[in-house]
Amino acid sequence: MKLFDYIRLAFRNIRRQKLRSALTIFAVVIGATSVTIMLSLVTGAKGFFKSQVESSGLLEQVAVSPKQDITDFNSANNGGQCDSCTKLTDAIVEKVKAVPHVIGVARQVQDGSLEAITYNGKKLSLQRTTAYDANGIITRNILAGRDLAEADKDGVITITSDYADKFGFKGNYAGLIGKDVTLSTRGFYNGVGADIQPPVQCQGACDNNNNNPGQNQKATVFTAKVVGITDTNDSDATVRVPIDWARGFQTMRMYQQDKVTQVDCSKARGPCNPPQPTFSLVTTDQLAINGYASLIAKVDNSKNAAGVSTEIKKLGVGAADASASINQQLTVFNILGLVLGGIGGIAMAVAAIGVVNTMIMAILERTREIGVMRAVGAKRSTVRSLFTFEASMLGFWGGVFGVAIGFGLTRVANIFVNKQLASQGLKAHDIIGLPVWLILAVVGISTLIGLLAGLYPASRAAKLDPVEALRYE
Amino acid sequence: MHVVNKMHMLKLKGLQVEPIIELKNVTKTYKLGDETLKALDSVSFKVSPGDFIAITGPSGSGKSTLANIIGGLDHPDGGSVIVDGNELMHTRDNKLSSYRNEHIGFVFQSFNLQGNNTALENVMLPLVFARMKNKDRKARAKECLEAVGLGDRLKHKPTQLSGGQRQRVAIARALSGKPKIIIADEPTGNLDSAKGEEIMTLLKGLNKDGITLLIITHDMNVARQAKRVVEIRDGKITERR
Repeated sequence: MKLFDYIRLAFRNIRRQKLRSALTIFAVVIGATSVTIMLSLVTGAKGFFKSQVESSGLLEQVAVSPKQDITDFNSANNGGQCDSCTKLTDAIVEKVKAVPHVIGVARQVQDGSLEAITYNGKKLSLQRTTAYDANGIITRNILAGRDLAEADKDGVITITSDYADKFGFKGNYAGLIGKDVTLSTRGFYNGVGADIQPPVQCQGACDNNNNNPGQNQKATVFTAKVVGITDTNDSDATVRVPIDWARGFQTMRMYQQDKVTQVDCSKARGPCNPPQPTFSLVTTDQLAINGYASLIAKVDNSKNAAGVSTEIKKLGVGAADASASINQQLTVFNILGLVLGGIGGIAMAVAAIGVVNTMIMAILERTREIGVMRAVGAKRSTVRSLFTFEASMLGFWGGVFGVAIGFGLTRVANIFVNKQLASQGLKAHDIIGLPVWLILAVVGISTLIGLLAGLYPASRAAKLDPVEALRYE
Repeated sequence: MHVVNKMHMLKLKGLQVEPIIELKNVTKTYKLGDETLKALDSVSFKVSPGDFIAITGPSGSGKSTLANIIGGLDHPDGGSVIVDGNELMHTRDNKLSSYRNEHIGFVFQSFNLQGNNTALENVMLPLVFARMKNKDRKARAKECLEAVGLGDRLKHKPTQLSGGQRQRVAIARALSGKPKIIIADEPTGNLDSAKGEEIMTLLKGLNKDGITLLIITHDMNVARQAKRVVEIRDGKITERR
């Protein structure tokens, strides 16, 4: 029998029992629709995540940490200090910049000097402050105002949206832009701006080793202008400051006694006037000594990220590109896809049972017909193929209608998702996609399930003894 | 030239005609519960090409079994069956299907037409399995339906046809593959005597054209029209005429 005849006969036989075929196909439609929706949701979410990652430039970044044993991007990005580590000093920064394919480096600083932020009398505590080179390598999702710029000097900050909410600017983030807030440091802060008094001049002999440098016990207060509001979900700290200001926070300033020529008054014959100790303010750039918390190296092409990471490690520091952690997150999507697809799969399995049932019924009804076909020359294999074809066609149409309905439902779902994303300020459109491969896969799998479900009934039909079949009432 | 005429000439020339059907010691038993039923008990007989044989016998005597074995629908338990040069005893199912398609035309008592197909489609069925081109199939089926006098009923479904017409469609279907042998199992059983007579006339006409005709019947009026009558009783065969 020719392929065209199989199609024609299968189609005709399906049409013969319209209601039963329709119900069987409907069961497959339910399965195919649920598989379509579940998988398109997951592929949509996955695609959205990927596009977000790509647009964030994360794939072209390599995070550098002082800790050598770092393996993933996020831990490297968090940085950290250790005594035996190679410090991320400016010398290392220059070396990283010199690595082939590196087109830029952003230094990151984490600072704990600031303790509170106050606006309009409302004081909120701060955990830590971050700062990094505002050279466009590290970007944050800005909800209002602007990101920090390279030209920004001390006294300019961005804050996260949750704090803006608490200050009463929910829904009106722009209202906070350009406003002044007060930042206060912890006690014993002696960085930039701290009012450090020289030690009190000691009367009599002073111990050079205990030179009593002046310490500032009170909190230092700064006024800062808010230039931007960042998305809380996309920020590692509430307040971001220009990197040079953070350097100032971490600069240790203290009075040290100047060296003086000691005079032993006990041996003096006349009046003894030992020179009064003098003090001068000494500043130490701690950041230059301890190094930066971490670096982000920007690579010319995401393909080179892994290679650059390897090269940077040769400098004795830790480095990791984002691919591993992104893949890990993508695995989560894949698992989710399997679970949701599995739920759809159960619906498909139930539909398959329906197909088996329908085909067994059809064979019982058409036993005599099978006998006639065998009598006029149909081979067992022809009968088997004919019924398998018919079952596959039930699956095929179920798949086609299922995908069509699934497509319609994803369109509707997209309308809601678009609204949701727009309200979060995310520029995304129709993220629940129905890629061609998914359409083909669902139709293919439905057809395959129909085929598999048809195998047993078809083999029963093929095994029928023609003489018995012709006698069947 | 018709096969019959060819045969006559061969006979006139005194040459031996090879039998188209030759059965030697064919046995077939059925098990019905604990009972063993000998449907055919060492049956041997020959049929010459162009012959018209009526196989008679009481119900359950084995006449259908004999027809089924000759028609390649059933395997004997023992003996040998040679039909038109084909040894059927050891032929595999696939080959038997082709054999039925090419050599045998079946006509059944209850017509066995496909209810949702037109007369033309029913007649085309054997040609579908013969992998004939669609266009050729249609032409051949139309030719066969015209031969049985139903050239104006091509698009009719079986339910739109009378019993006699249905059996004509069935005969057209049997003819479509140009078989040398037609096996008709009680072809007039479901028809009144007038229609039955029409069908017999049609079948006899085919026989005249050279087709070997085997009719299974217990209607003596039908049997009487055959050139040979063979009776089966308890699995044994006796030649009545």
